Amino acid sequence: MGAITAPFPSRPWFDELVARATADTAAIERLGIAEFRFGMEILLSDGSRQEFGLVLDGYDISAEGPTTEDAFGPDVVFSGPLDAWTEMIGWIEANGPADSGHSLNGLSIAGIPFEVRSSDAMGSDKFYRFMGTLQAVFDAAGVDAPVAAGAG
Amino acid sequence: MSLGLDLSYLERSSRGEFDLGWLRDTKSEWGVRAVPSKTGLTMRDIFIGSYGEVPDHAPMRTMAPRGSDVEVGVPDMGYTVNDKCEVWSENVLDLYEEAVSRQWSATRDIPWGDLAPLDPDVEHAMCQLATVLSEVEMVAADFPAKWLWRINHEFVEAKMFLCTQVMDEARHTEVFRKRALANGGGLGKATAVIERFLQLILDAESYDEGSALMHLLGEGIVLSLFRAGAALSPSPVEQQIFRLCMQDEARHVAYGTMHLRYRLEKDPSMAADFHAYLDKGEEMIAMIFSTPEIVEPTAILAAGSVEAACELGAAAGDVLRLQIVGDYLKRCDHAGLDRRGRLHLPDAIIEGVPGAKSAVTV
Repeated sequence: MGAITAPFPSRPWFDELVARATADTAAIERLGIAEFRFGMEILLSDGSRQEFGLVLDGYDISAEGPTTEDAFGPDVVFSGPLDAWTEMIGWIEANGPADSGHSLNGLSIAGIPFEVRSSDAMGSDKFYRFMGTLQAVFDAAGVDAPVAAGAG
Repeated sequence: MSLGLDLSYLERSSRGEFDLGWLRDTKSEWGVRAVPSKTGLTMRDIFIGSYGEVPDHAPMRTMAPRGSDVEVGVPDMGYTVNDKCEVWSENVLDLYEEAVSRQWSATRDIPWGDLAPLDPDVEHAMCQLATVLSEVEMVAADFPAKWLWRINHEFVEAKMFLCTQVMDEARHTEVFRKRALANGGGLGKATAVIERFLQLILDAESYDEGSALMHLLGEGIVLSLFRAGAALSPSPVEQQIFRLCMQDEARHVAYGTMHLRYRLEKDPSMAADFHAYLDKGEEMIAMIFSTPEIVEPTAILAAGSVEAACELGAAAGDVLRLQIVGDYLKRCDHAGLDRRGRLHLPDAIIEGVPGAKSAVTV
């Protein structure tokens, strides 16, 4: 399995990511159910932004977008500059599942380069509750990085 | 004590003379056909009709399933938590399903075979943090267990969720004990100050008080420690441990936040009581940042060595401090309890947290 060929960020890129992550349905079920709307904001160098969404609904995972925060209604928004997104994804593509320094959690804990934004505490707590599933989805961008059973 | 053995029934039934009262005369709702949702038959799916009606005050103190036809003469079980608002939260059914679905095994799901030798100081730091976490996690099993048998069976969904928490915390205690003993180190130091904090939770005089101290405050702090641990992990082994624990802990915090919200919606006058509990409990946050056994291992894991940690100074601690206090205040806001202007924390702890003001000189 090579890197996703669609350009990032784009809906085809996120669709392919989700397709890879959900290819092994048993592994997804092993991660457990989730109810979560994860907003992703990519800040471009010209000051504009692109927004996409991941929807975790039971055992189903789907991508949405391009969209807006108002239209998507995310529990949280994971926001960062395009460079940070491409570096994170590039590292996973090159090395497989993210290490602590290249994980969604590791890259957002200090508020840079990524910020996790939510309108209330329940949103940010959902980011913590479903972190394993979210990371498994992004890890699927990696070469030879199927979702690992038991990795919750 | 007589259990009410009916010898004459034994004789009649042996002759085929059945009573069949349970078959013909039961007064509970019949004809219920819960429809499974796409993940299976959930607790939300069966929360229907009379079976989805939870009384604000339990009419009896029995173990009879809510909605069943309860025979006259059932014994009084002596429950002391008989009001729904004392334990309920609007998300408790969903949190129970989530908890059951997202269980994991500290034996099977951690890639223990991938542990590699670490710098001795880093290994010592990891073992010290594992010691503290193995110590504090079990109180979050002890506290619900202490109260479970006092909670009326009418609120069975809340009891079931607390049972999942007991299992979660047993697993957290297990996984950190295993980590301490798995890579050439061992257990570190257990301190009196941490034990006093645990005692505060365990000795809470009411479920309200203990839940505020534990679910909202204590577990909120530990959740931030787990998040930091996952970000600072020296290997995929620790990353997986902290990530899995973080998911569990966030469920418990979500219950605590929404329970407090429900409690205050039903009885706003309780706010003064919760402020008093948290006035006392916030010393825990200050304690976290004045306990070397927590501060220093975290700094060493962040920096990679003792020397680098000393150079890094308070930077790693500041990230953790801002997250702990910031997340705590957001949860209080969501629950409907404004703590921003009356924190019982020293200025040094709340510096940089938007809107936070200390109400005391510490």
